[in-house]
Amino acid sequence: MNTHPYLRAYMAGIAVPTLALLAIMTAFTIARHVYDVPLPMERVIVFPMAIVPNLFGLWNILYVAMGSGRRLPIGFHGATLPFVLAPIGLTMATSLGFLTLGQDALVWFEVLSIPYSILVAIFLVTLIIYYLVWKYLVAFLNGQLGIA
Amino acid sequence: MNHREDEKLKAALKQALPPMADVELGRDLWPQMLRKLGEQAIRVPWWDWTLAALVASSFFFFPRAIPVILYLF
Repeated sequence: MNTHPYLRAYMAGIAVPTLALLAIMTAFTIARHVYDVPLPMERVIVFPMAIVPNLFGLWNILYVAMGSGRRLPIGFHGATLPFVLAPIGLTMATSLGFLTLGQDALVWFEVLSIPYSILVAIFLVTLIIYYLVWKYLVAFLNGQLGIA
Repeated sequence: MNHREDEKLKAALKQALPPMADVELGRDLWPQMLRKLGEQAIRVPWWDWTLAALVASSFFFFPRAIPVILYLF
């Protein structure tokens, strides 16, 4: 009997960012409509809504497909995902016009200036978050679905 | 189908499917269930707590990072 492990891996992978999207949408909506931050919502939300969950699913399929002998521990496997996501996200943000590359800093949404030196620290924090999310949440869902 | 055919069918079924000899469990499953319930589901090592604290403190000291990280999640 085909138990569709890749389909289950995809579903387990997309579950966490799909739930997180609710919080992200809420935060962006409050920022936009309560605090009048000039966020172009319809352009900003494309990446967290369409790209991130799908890449989580595909990354989890990759984790299952690699088999227990060849893959990294799931936390480290998840922590490698921002190396793929960040360039795509930054490229999309630049091309959609809400991220500007300045002389010393990135300017998000025309109001949020982040120096390049701090950007490295933010990327490291993102790696840690991904490590923890994959180690505890995605691994839990994989266990519940009986795939890893 | 008349009554006689019903009886014949019943007899044929009984013959084809003999009653199971031993329907009792070989062992008591309750202790195993109790052990499973008592197990700690997730054990978080101290270094993961440290990393979580590091993330939380980075949000506290540099709140501008929050929208960027939300965007990448």
